[in-house]
Amino acid sequence: MPEDFLQWVVHESLADVLEKMFFISILDETPDTVPLPLQEEMAVRVGFEGKPSGSLTLQLNRVVARSIAGDFLGVEQQELSDSQVGEVTCELANMICGSVLSRVESAVTFRLHAPEIVNPDQTPAGAAIYSVPLGPAAIKVAMVTEAPICPPAAESAS
Amino acid sequence: MERRAGKERRNAMAYRVLIVDDSPAMRAFVRRVISLSGIDVADCFEAGNGREALALLANQWVDVILTDINMPEMDGEQFLECLQSEELFRSIPTVVISTDATRHRIERLRQLGACGYIAKPFLPENLREVLERHLGAPCA
Repeated sequence: MPEDFLQWVVHESLADVLEKMFFISILDETPDTVPLPLQEEMAVRVGFEGKPSGSLTLQLNRVVARSIAGDFLGVEQQELSDSQVGEVTCELANMICGSVLSRVESAVTFRLHAPEIVNPDQTPAGAAIYSVPLGPAAIKVAMVTEAPICPPAAESAS
Repeated sequence: MERRAGKERRNAMAYRVLIVDDSPAMRAFVRRVISLSGIDVADCFEAGNGREALALLANQWVDVILTDINMPEMDGEQFLECLQSEELFRSIPTVVISTDATRHRIERLRQLGACGYIAKPFLPENLREVLERHLGAPCA
């Protein structure tokens, strides 16, 4: 149940953030069925403190990152600097993390750390990984928490 | 120093907006949404955290503040406390834009003086509605 719940929450959060802030609609495909991009990837990690604490790592292809950065800033892709692409990707990771935590920690406060660009080859050990197709590649979200994430109702009942 | 205040002035003139966020990308996005919303904006100032925002407010009057919570040096809660402690700044409508949409956080921010709250992700019309409500005039 927690695994299915977290998968659903990540998927809903991704869809919500991409649709509202980036004007992108993702395909309603089952996560983890899409092959991940093998090269030209970038990754951003957002640590968080709360109940539970953990981190969320967003991994995506640089071409996709540049495309969504252009949508976000209203700028042509060729006019974007690598720095701007990085900043937008950090903000995307920040919003997805906040959206996920707001759905599972509605009764408690959490604190997000500043997003940081990390090595995409280093998926956190023990992470629950979800991927969603986007354009020619996929967005991958890896979440690690110090304790299992449960639906709010189940948590309040315990 | 420019000091202008009051709803009468707000209804008649273009607005001065301050965006406080440590993410340059988010500041650019909010600025873009405001410009697309039809709100008549005379000046749109930006600050990377609460401390920078207070330094800016020492020299510039603004009609509304849009602020993030998680920021380095001075976060959104500390910034709200500083605004409330200053007679001059207390009347400036301050809207929080944040990823943290937990009930506890929203209640706390309201206690600290935030007049509005927008959870990220948000639709452009959400920001427009909140600005209309707190600036006291419908947008063009």
